[in-house]
Amino acid sequence: MSERSVSRAKQEKRWYTVFAPEQFDREELGETPADEPEQVYNRTIETTLGELTNNASENNTKLTFQVSDVGSDAAYTEFKSHSLSRDYLRSLVRRGASKIEAYVTVLTTDDYRLQIQPVAFTTKKADASQEKAIRKQMVQMVEDAAAERTFEEVIDSIVEGRLSSAIYGECKTIYPLRRVEIQKTTLEAHPEEIAEEEATSVSVDEDDVAVDS
Amino acid sequence: MADDKWGVAHVHASFNNTIMTVTDLTGAETIAKSSGGTAVKQNRDEASPYAAMQMAESIAEEVKAAGITGLHVRVRGPGGNLQKSPGPGAQATIRALARSGIEIGRIEDVTPIPHDGSRAPKGKGGF
Repeated sequence: MSERSVSRAKQEKRWYTVFAPEQFDREELGETPADEPEQVYNRTIETTLGELTNNASENNTKLTFQVSDVGSDAAYTEFKSHSLSRDYLRSLVRRGASKIEAYVTVLTTDDYRLQIQPVAFTTKKADASQEKAIRKQMVQMVEDAAAERTFEEVIDSIVEGRLSSAIYGECKTIYPLRRVEIQKTTLEAHPEEIAEEEATSVSVDEDDVAVDS
Repeated sequence: MADDKWGVAHVHASFNNTIMTVTDLTGAETIAKSSGGTAVKQNRDEASPYAAMQMAESIAEEVKAAGITGLHVRVRGPGGNLQKSPGPGAQATIRALARSGIEIGRIEDVTPIPHDGSRAPKGKGGF
Protein backbone atom coordinates (compact mmCIF):
# COMPACT_ATOMS: atom_id res chain seq x y z
CA MET A 1 0.00 0.00 0.00
CA SER A 2 1.38 3.37 -0.92
CA GLU A 3 1.91 6.03 1.68
CA ARG A 4 -0.80 8.18 0.21
CA SER A 5 -3.53 5.62 0.56
CA VAL A 6 -2.55 4.94 4.18
CA SER A 7 -2.99 8.54 5.12
CA ARG A 8 -6.21 8.63 3.15
CA ALA A 9 -7.57 5.67 5.11
CA LYS A 10 -6.75 7.30 8.43
CA GLN A 11 -8.47 10.49 7.48
CA GLU A 12 -11.87 10.73 9.09
CA LYS A 13 -14.85 11.30 6.87
CA ARG A 14 -16.54 14.63 7.30
CA TRP A 15 -20.25 14.75 8.03
CA TYR A 16 -22.25 17.22 6.01
CA THR A 17 -25.58 18.45 7.26
CA VAL A 18 -28.14 18.42 4.49
CA PHE A 19 -30.69 21.22 4.32
CA ALA A 20 -33.97 21.44 2.46
CA PRO A 21 -34.49 24.18 -0.16
CA GLU A 22 -35.62 27.64 0.91
CA GLN A 23 -39.13 26.79 -0.15
CA PHE A 24 -39.28 24.26 2.68
CA ASP A 25 -37.80 26.64 5.27
CA ARG A 26 -34.26 25.28 5.03
CA GLU A 27 -35.25 22.45 7.35
CA GLU A 28 -32.51 20.06 8.40
CA LEU A 29 -32.91 16.79 6.50
CA GLY A 30 -30.11 14.71 7.92
CA GLU A 31 -26.41 14.15 7.62
CA THR A 32 -24.19 12.41 5.13
CA PRO A 33 -20.50 11.49 5.40
CA ALA A 34 -17.94 11.96 2.63
CA ASP A 35 -14.18 12.12 2.08
CA GLU A 36 -14.36 14.94 -0.42
CA PRO A 37 -16.95 17.69 -0.76
CA GLU A 38 -17.33 16.87 -4.48
CA GLN A 39 -18.73 13.48 -3.57
CA VAL A 40 -21.72 15.06 -1.89
CA TYR A 41 -23.05 16.58 -5.11
CA ASN A 42 -26.01 14.84 -6.71
CA ARG A 43 -26.74 12.70 -3.70
CA THR A 44 -30.43 12.41 -3.09
CA ILE A 45 -32.19 12.37 0.21
CA GLU A 46 -35.73 11.26 0.76
CA THR A 47 -38.03 12.52 3.45
CA THR A 48 -41.73 12.72 4.12
CA LEU A 49 -43.80 15.86 4.15
CA GLY A 50 -44.79 15.14 7.75
CA GLU A 51 -41.18 15.28 8.82
CA LEU A 52 -40.66 18.67 7.19
CA THR A 53 -43.78 20.23 8.63
CA ASN A 54 -43.90 18.25 11.88
CA ASN A 55 -47.33 17.02 10.99
CA ALA A 56 -47.59 13.26 11.37
CA SER A 57 -50.78 13.09 9.28
CA GLU A 58 -48.93 14.02 6.11
CA ASN A 59 -46.57 11.08 6.05
CA ASN A 60 -47.95 9.68 2.83
CA THR A 61 -46.07 12.18 0.71
CA LYS A 62 -42.43 11.51 0.03
CA LEU A 63 -40.13 14.25 -1.18
CA THR A 64 -36.74 13.67 -2.72
CA PHE A 65 -34.11 16.37 -2.71
CA GLN A 66 -30.85 16.44 -4.58
CA VAL A 67 -27.72 18.14 -3.32
CA SER A 68 -26.83 21.07 -5.55
CA ASP A 69 -24.49 23.14 -3.41
CA VAL A 70 -21.96 22.18 -0.75
CA GLY A 71 -20.60 24.45 1.93
CA SER A 72 -17.88 23.70 4.48
CA ASP A 73 -20.02 21.32 6.49
CA ALA A 74 -23.44 21.91 5.00
CA ALA A 75 -25.06 20.72 1.81
CA TYR A 76 -27.94 22.53 0.15
CA THR A 77 -30.51 20.71 -1.87
CA GLU A 78 -33.12 21.36 -4.45
CA PHE A 79 -36.39 19.66 -5.16
CA LYS A 80 -36.03 16.56 -7.30
CA SER A 81 -39.23 14.58 -7.06
CA HIS A 82 -42.37 14.07 -5.05
CA SER A 83 -44.40 10.91 -4.80
CA LEU A 84 -47.07 9.27 -2.72
CA SER A 85 -46.02 6.31 -0.63
CA ARG A 86 -46.79 2.97 -2.18
CA ASP A 87 -48.93 1.71 0.71
CA TYR A 88 -51.10 4.83 0.64
CA LEU A 89 -51.64 4.65 -3.09
CA ARG A 90 -52.49 0.98 -2.82
CA SER A 91 -54.97 1.68 -0.04
CA LEU A 92 -56.93 3.97 -2.36
CA VAL A 93 -57.51 1.32 -4.99
CA ARG A 94 -60.88 -0.36 -4.61
CA ARG A 95 -62.55 -3.18 -6.43
CA GLY A 96 -65.24 -2.15 -8.89
CA ALA A 97 -64.03 1.43 -9.17
CA SER A 98 -61.97 3.14 -11.81
CA LYS A 99 -58.51 4.54 -11.44
CA ILE A 100 -57.75 7.25 -13.94
CA GLU A 101 -54.13 8.16 -14.41
CA ALA A 102 -52.45 10.74 -16.59
CA TYR A 103 -48.89 11.73 -17.31
CA VAL A 104 -48.36 15.38 -18.15
CA THR A 105 -45.09 17.03 -19.01
CA VAL A 106 -45.29 20.77 -18.52
CA LEU A 107 -43.10 23.84 -18.65
CA THR A 108 -43.48 26.37 -15.85
CA THR A 109 -43.28 30.12 -16.38
CA ASP A 110 -39.66 30.15 -15.20
CA ASP A 111 -38.69 27.37 -17.61
CA TYR A 112 -38.53 24.32 -15.39
CA ARG A 113 -39.76 21.16 -17.06
CA LEU A 114 -41.79 18.93 -14.80
CA GLN A 115 -43.61 15.69 -15.24
CA ILE A 116 -46.77 15.60 -13.19
CA GLN A 117 -48.86 12.46 -12.71
CA PRO A 118 -52.36 13.11 -11.43
CA VAL A 119 -54.58 10.19 -10.51
CA ALA A 120 -58.33 10.08 -9.83
CA PHE A 121 -60.35 7.39 -8.12
CA THR A 122 -64.08 7.11 -8.83
CA THR A 123 -66.72 5.75 -6.49
CA LYS A 124 -67.98 3.24 -9.03
CA LYS A 125 -66.86 1.89 -12.35
CA ALA A 126 -66.88 4.73 -14.86
CA ASP A 127 -67.45 4.33 -18.60
CA ALA A 128 -64.51 4.73 -20.92
CA SER A 129 -65.96 7.97 -22.24
CA GLN A 130 -66.25 9.36 -18.72
CA GLU A 131 -62.72 8.26 -17.95
CA LYS A 132 -61.50 10.01 -21.06
CA ALA A 133 -63.39 13.16 -20.17
CA ILE A 134 -61.91 13.19 -16.67
CA ARG A 135 -58.43 12.51 -17.97
CA LYS A 136 -58.75 15.31 -20.51
CA GLN A 137 -59.92 17.71 -17.82
CA MET A 138 -57.06 16.68 -15.51
CA VAL A 139 -54.44 17.17 -18.20
CA GLN A 140 -55.95 20.54 -19.10
CA MET A 141 -55.96 21.75 -15.52
CA VAL A 142 -52.40 20.62 -14.85
CA GLU A 143 -51.22 22.35 -18.00
CA ASP A 144 -53.06 25.55 -17.12
CA ALA A 145 -51.74 25.47 -13.57
CA ALA A 146 -48.17 25.14 -14.79
CA ALA A 147 -48.52 27.73 -17.53
CA GLU A 148 -49.34 30.52 -15.09
CA ARG A 149 -47.13 29.58 -12.14
CA THR A 150 -43.46 29.49 -11.33
CA PHE A 151 -41.71 26.28 -10.42
CA GLU A 152 -41.98 26.93 -6.69
CA GLU A 153 -45.65 27.81 -6.87
CA VAL A 154 -46.40 24.64 -8.81
CA ILE A 155 -44.57 22.48 -6.27
CA ASP A 156 -46.34 24.28 -3.44
CA SER A 157 -49.77 23.75 -4.91
CA ILE A 158 -49.00 20.07 -5.53
CA VAL A 159 -47.51 19.37 -2.13
CA GLU A 160 -50.24 21.19 -0.24
CA GLY A 161 -52.89 19.43 -2.29
CA ARG A 162 -54.45 22.55 -3.79
CA LEU A 163 -54.02 21.33 -7.34
CA SER A 164 -55.56 17.95 -6.63
CA SER A 165 -58.56 19.45 -4.82
CA ALA A 166 -59.07 21.88 -7.70
CA ILE A 167 -59.12 18.93 -10.10
CA TYR A 168 -61.51 17.14 -7.77
CA GLY A 169 -63.89 20.11 -7.77
CA GLU A 170 -63.89 20.33 -11.56
CA CYS A 171 -64.09 16.64 -12.37
CA LYS A 172 -66.70 15.47 -9.88
CA THR A 173 -69.42 16.79 -12.16
CA ILE A 174 -68.30 14.38 -14.88
CA TYR A 175 -68.47 11.37 -12.61
CA PRO A 176 -68.57 11.07 -8.80
CA LEU A 177 -65.00 10.89 -7.58
CA ARG A 178 -63.71 9.53 -4.32
CA ARG A 179 -60.31 11.08 -4.37
CA VAL A 180 -57.86 12.93 -6.57
CA GLU A 181 -54.15 12.97 -5.87
CA ILE A 182 -50.96 13.96 -7.60
CA GLN A 183 -49.16 10.66 -7.36
CA LYS A 184 -45.80 11.75 -8.65
CA THR A 185 -43.91 14.82 -9.77
CA THR A 186 -40.41 14.76 -11.15
CA LEU A 187 -38.12 17.56 -12.16
CA GLU A 188 -37.09 16.81 -15.72
CA ALA A 189 -34.97 19.79 -16.70
CA HIS A 190 -33.67 23.06 -15.32
CA PRO A 191 -34.00 26.39 -17.10
CA GLU A 192 -30.33 26.20 -18.17
CA GLU A 193 -30.82 22.81 -19.76
CA ILE A 194 -33.90 24.00 -21.59
CA ALA A 195 -32.09 27.09 -22.84
CA GLU A 196 -29.37 24.81 -24.11
CA GLU A 197 -31.86 22.60 -25.88
CA GLU A 198 -33.37 25.60 -27.57
CA ALA A 199 -29.98 26.90 -28.61
CA THR A 200 -28.96 23.61 -30.17
CA SER A 201 -32.29 22.81 -31.75
CA VAL A 202 -32.67 23.74 -35.38
CA SER A 203 -35.87 25.45 -36.42
CA VAL A 204 -37.22 23.99 -39.61
CA ASP A 205 -39.34 26.08 -41.90
CA GLU A 206 -42.30 24.26 -43.31
CA ASP A 207 -41.45 25.38 -46.86
CA ASP A 208 -37.96 23.96 -46.58
CA VAL A 209 -39.14 20.47 -45.94
CA ALA A 210 -39.44 18.54 -49.15
CA VAL A 211 -42.69 16.67 -49.17
CA ASP A 212 -43.16 14.12 -51.88
CA SER A 213 -46.60 14.61 -53.24
CA MET B 1 -34.13 15.15 15.95
CA ALA B 2 -31.56 17.30 17.69
CA ASP B 3 -28.15 15.71 17.28
CA ASP B 4 -29.03 12.06 16.77
CA LYS B 5 -27.92 10.75 13.44
CA TRP B 6 -30.15 8.66 11.24
CA GLY B 7 -29.38 6.06 8.65
CA VAL B 8 -31.23 3.77 6.31
CA ALA B 9 -31.28 -0.01 6.65
CA HIS B 10 -31.85 -1.68 3.31
CA VAL B 11 -33.09 -5.20 3.87
CA HIS B 12 -33.33 -7.52 0.90
CA ALA B 13 -35.19 -10.56 2.16
CA SER B 14 -35.59 -13.34 -0.38
CA PHE B 15 -36.47 -16.94 0.27
CA ASN B 16 -32.85 -18.00 -0.08
CA ASN B 17 -30.99 -15.27 1.72
CA THR B 18 -31.26 -12.00 3.60
CA ILE B 19 -28.95 -9.15 2.75
CA MET B 20 -28.75 -6.08 4.94
CA THR B 21 -26.93 -2.89 4.14
CA VAL B 22 -26.96 0.11 6.42
CA THR B 23 -26.19 3.39 4.70
CA ASP B 24 -26.41 7.07 5.48
CA LEU B 25 -29.65 8.91 4.64
CA THR B 26 -28.66 9.46 1.04
CA GLY B 27 -27.79 5.83 0.44
CA ALA B 28 -24.40 6.85 -0.93
CA GLU B 29 -22.18 5.76 1.95
CA THR B 30 -22.32 2.28 3.41
CA ILE B 31 -21.92 2.03 7.18
CA ALA B 32 -22.43 -1.69 7.78
CA LYS B 33 -23.45 -4.69 5.77
CA SER B 34 -24.15 -8.31 6.37
CA SER B 35 -25.74 -11.28 4.69
CA GLY B 36 -27.00 -14.69 5.72
CA GLY B 37 -23.70 -16.45 5.26
CA THR B 38 -22.04 -14.49 8.05
CA ALA B 39 -24.40 -15.92 10.65
CA VAL B 40 -25.02 -19.57 9.69
CA LYS B 41 -23.12 -22.44 8.10
CA GLN B 42 -25.83 -24.17 6.12
CA ASN B 43 -26.83 -22.54 2.87
CA ARG B 44 -30.46 -23.35 3.45
CA ASP B 45 -30.47 -21.42 6.74
CA GLU B 46 -29.33 -18.15 5.20
CA ALA B 47 -32.88 -16.89 4.87
CA SER B 48 -33.97 -18.03 8.33
CA PRO B 49 -35.26 -15.56 10.91
CA TYR B 50 -32.55 -16.78 13.26
CA ALA B 51 -29.79 -15.77 10.86
CA ALA B 52 -31.50 -12.42 10.36
CA MET B 53 -31.54 -11.89 14.11
CA GLN B 54 -27.84 -12.63 14.48
CA MET B 55 -27.01 -10.34 11.59
CA ALA B 56 -29.19 -7.54 12.89
CA GLU B 57 -27.51 -7.71 16.28
CA SER B 58 -24.01 -7.47 14.87
CA ILE B 59 -25.12 -4.70 12.54
CA ALA B 60 -26.67 -2.83 15.45
CA GLU B 61 -23.29 -2.84 17.18
CA GLU B 62 -21.51 -1.45 14.14
CA VAL B 63 -24.16 1.17 13.58
CA LYS B 64 -24.00 2.37 17.16
CA ALA B 65 -20.21 2.52 16.91
CA ALA B 66 -20.63 4.81 13.92
CA GLY B 67 -22.73 7.14 16.06
CA ILE B 68 -26.09 6.47 14.48
CA THR B 69 -29.06 6.17 16.78
CA GLY B 70 -31.99 5.56 14.46
CA LEU B 71 -32.69 3.75 11.23
CA HIS B 72 -35.35 4.01 8.58
CA VAL B 73 -36.03 0.59 7.15
CA ARG B 74 -36.53 -0.19 3.48
CA VAL B 75 -37.55 -3.79 3.00
CA ARG B 76 -37.72 -5.52 -0.33
CA GLY B 77 -38.51 -8.96 -1.57
CA PRO B 78 -37.09 -10.42 -4.77
CA GLY B 79 -39.66 -8.50 -6.83
CA GLY B 80 -39.67 -8.25 -10.58
CA ASN B 81 -41.42 -11.31 -11.88
CA LEU B 82 -40.64 -13.22 -8.68
CA GLN B 83 -42.40 -13.00 -5.30
CA LYS B 84 -43.59 -9.54 -4.36
CA SER B 85 -43.55 -10.22 -0.63
CA PRO B 86 -40.39 -10.04 1.48
CA GLY B 87 -38.98 -13.31 2.80
CA PRO B 88 -38.88 -14.60 6.39
CA GLY B 89 -35.84 -12.54 7.37
CA ALA B 90 -37.52 -9.15 7.06
CA GLN B 91 -39.71 -9.25 10.17
CA ALA B 92 -36.97 -10.73 12.30
CA THR B 93 -34.50 -8.06 11.20
CA ILE B 94 -36.72 -5.18 12.21
CA ARG B 95 -37.56 -6.79 15.54
CA ALA B 96 -33.95 -7.55 16.34
CA LEU B 97 -32.86 -4.03 15.40
CA ALA B 98 -35.51 -2.51 17.61
CA ARG B 99 -34.63 -4.83 20.49
CA SER B 100 -30.97 -3.96 20.35
CA GLY B 101 -31.80 -0.37 21.15
CA ILE B 102 -31.94 1.25 17.72
CA GLU B 103 -34.76 3.62 17.03
CA ILE B 104 -36.84 2.56 14.04
CA GLY B 105 -38.22 5.33 11.84
CA ARG B 106 -40.23 4.76 8.71
CA ILE B 107 -40.65 1.25 7.44
CA GLU B 108 -41.20 1.10 3.73
CA ASP B 109 -41.65 -1.64 1.17
CA VAL B 110 -39.46 -0.99 -1.86
CA THR B 111 -39.93 -4.25 -3.72
CA PRO B 112 -39.49 -3.59 -7.43
CA ILE B 113 -42.89 -4.00 -9.06
CA PRO B 114 -43.01 -4.33 -12.83
CA HIS B 115 -45.38 -2.08 -14.78
CA ASP B 116 -45.66 -5.18 -16.85
CA GLY B 117 -42.41 -6.84 -17.55
CA SER B 118 -41.29 -10.24 -18.61
CA ARG B 119 -43.11 -13.53 -18.18
CA ALA B 120 -42.98 -15.11 -14.72
CA PRO B 121 -40.89 -18.25 -14.32
CA LYS B 122 -42.77 -21.50 -14.73
CA GLY B 123 -44.17 -23.05 -11.57
CA LYS B 124 -42.32 -25.64 -9.57
CA GLY B 125 -44.39 -28.83 -9.31
CA GLY B 126 -46.72 -29.24 -6.39
CA PHE B 127 -47.73 -25.64 -5.87
